[in-house]
Amino acid sequence: MIGNDIVDLEQAERDSNWKRPGYLIKLFTSEEQFLISSNIQPDCMVWLLWTMKESAYKIDSRISKLREFAPAKLVCNNLIIHDNTATGNVTYNDQLYFTKSVIEESYIHTIASITPEELEVIKIQIIETKEHSLRFGNPDSVSHHGKFLAFVYA
Amino acid sequence: MSNEELIIKLKPIVANYAQDKLALEQINLDTDFIKDLKINSANLVDVILDVEEEFDIVIDNESMERMLNVQSAIEIIEAKLVKK
Repeated sequence: MIGNDIVDLEQAERDSNWKRPGYLIKLFTSEEQFLISSNIQPDCMVWLLWTMKESAYKIDSRISKLREFAPAKLVCNNLIIHDNTATGNVTYNDQLYFTKSVIEESYIHTIASITPEELEVIKIQIIETKEHSLRFGNPDSVSHHGKFLAFVYA
Repeated sequence: MSNEELIIKLKPIVANYAQDKLALEQINLDTDFIKDLKINSANLVDVILDVEEEFDIVIDNESMERMLNVQSAIEIIEAKLVKK
């Protein structure tokens, strides 16, 4: 089972003011808030952590068929950033997820899986389009935000 | 406050983030913030912060978990208003 999430950084800047009082505390654990405040690019860290949480949540909600808005319960850890890529873990409801992210100038994209092996074979397709209903083949997970549409295939 | 009054107060808040304007016009107890109004999940926290300001209440994380539709938002707001 795999999940993915994309954030269009321009769109995020337009739509979300994460500096708003009370915002970060509702979304992030205190450790994650520290990662954000201590990073030289806090915007980037906000959306990197957010895509990690969202991609793992998508796997959970597909399995459990349950929905909740509990971003701070999706806990990011073991985050390692190298150049424009990142790897990490998310834990949620006692399940461990593995994540891999790409940080580009215009977007951040994260894939998540339950096993590290699955993560290595995921194929990713990211296109620029406003047609959010567009599909190619039979993707295992779809994410759209702003001008980006991302598909991942196991 | 009645459900109708609460929906009237809730509507301009969610209007700031709703991408589906038709669903917004037809807002009712069954309206789902994400599935119907197409509110971006990162903006759901803005809805919650706006609700806190508008009603002068604090929405704890446990309540926030359920705030995915109008029905549960109203239940949570009513419960918090009673405790004020």
